[in-house]
Amino acid sequence: MTDDVDPLLEAADATLASRAMDGDVQAFERLARRHGPLMRVYAAKLMGSESESDDVVQDAFLTGWRKLGDLDSPAHVRSWLMRIVSNKAIDRLRVRRDHDDIDDWDPPASAVRSPERIVETRLQLDAMWSALDRLPGDQRRCWLLRETGDYSYQEIADALDLPVSTVRGLLVRARRTLLQEMEAWR
Amino acid sequence: MAMTDEHAVPEDDLDGHTMEELADYLDRGRTPYEPSIERSAACRLALDGMRRLSQLSASSLQQQADRDPGRDEGWISGLLDIIKSEIRSGRDVPISHPDGALRLALTEAAVRGLIRRAGDTMPGALVGRCALEGDVAVPGAPVRVVVSCSLTFGEPLAAMADRLRQRIAAALAEHTELTIEAIDVHVDDVLPPTEGDA
Repeated sequence: MTDDVDPLLEAADATLASRAMDGDVQAFERLARRHGPLMRVYAAKLMGSESESDDVVQDAFLTGWRKLGDLDSPAHVRSWLMRIVSNKAIDRLRVRRDHDDIDDWDPPASAVRSPERIVETRLQLDAMWSALDRLPGDQRRCWLLRETGDYSYQEIADALDLPVSTVRGLLVRARRTLLQEMEAWR
Repeated sequence: MAMTDEHAVPEDDLDGHTMEELADYLDRGRTPYEPSIERSAACRLALDGMRRLSQLSASSLQQQADRDPGRDEGWISGLLDIIKSEIRSGRDVPISHPDGALRLALTEAAVRGLIRRAGDTMPGALVGRCALEGDVAVPGAPVRVVVSCSLTFGEPLAAMADRLRQRIAAALAEHTELTIEAIDVHVDDVLPPTEGDA
């Protein structure tokens, strides 16, 4: 006998998704624990709202569970769920935009501005995190949808109701700003 | 520098290429090979910078996600509560009882759970899909069990698959009255042995 390690802990996403399709709640729970936290952080950053992100990611996973039958390939369950999270977050953004004009989120100013030359991964990642916060809202949304959500330019344009040319411009700006901000960390 | 509209971005000096072209090129996996990009030091530098930026962006989100392991407990347990409340139990699988007036049944979901457990408790095996083909609701009707599994590489796969088949057969014989016509085991994945496995 091996010790009481959950055999699902190391299971591949494809295996977990296959089992979840057969109604295995534990397998789906494992997927939620494995990928949910990142998706929650992504949703929070995309919406500029930490408080709504739990709802969004929970709702997305619930939709995923109910629609597992639509999943073409169990191996792609992560990107499939990510897509659902993106859609839910965008829906919320839309609702908010329709109800008030305060579109943008002003993140707290970050103290980390000109870092010492300490090459330390954690600090570097913190710097990246706050650099993303300092981007104007539309640039940040484009960046996250492109980089984390794996959206095409056209899909971003559709999601944010912007012309594709604008999306391209915003991404160029975002990239340039981030490159400048992270220059100090090279 | 003339600014035409608010989103116009001044061009970079990248040997005739724009950042945007380079981003597209990177997205395509740097194929097909573009000599005017690959031979330009400025372009290669920009490509490296972009790749690094993508990695940093992904890692910074991941770091934030890993920061507090208990942070996601709330929504996950809420999610599981909802899921469990609407679980599909599938067809009824009847079980006879000496008192003919009593009608007992297992749910199909429970039978699948039984099959998965028979596999998961076998070292080196992990069950994936699991289907019961045939009319499980009719006593005596032939039923075919189809499972997919991943096996840890070690002993011959055919022997492992056989053992898995036997364990599933034994579990079904013990807990159900299904007439099992066949148990098909499909191996979809072979995993390298993990540390400490015999």
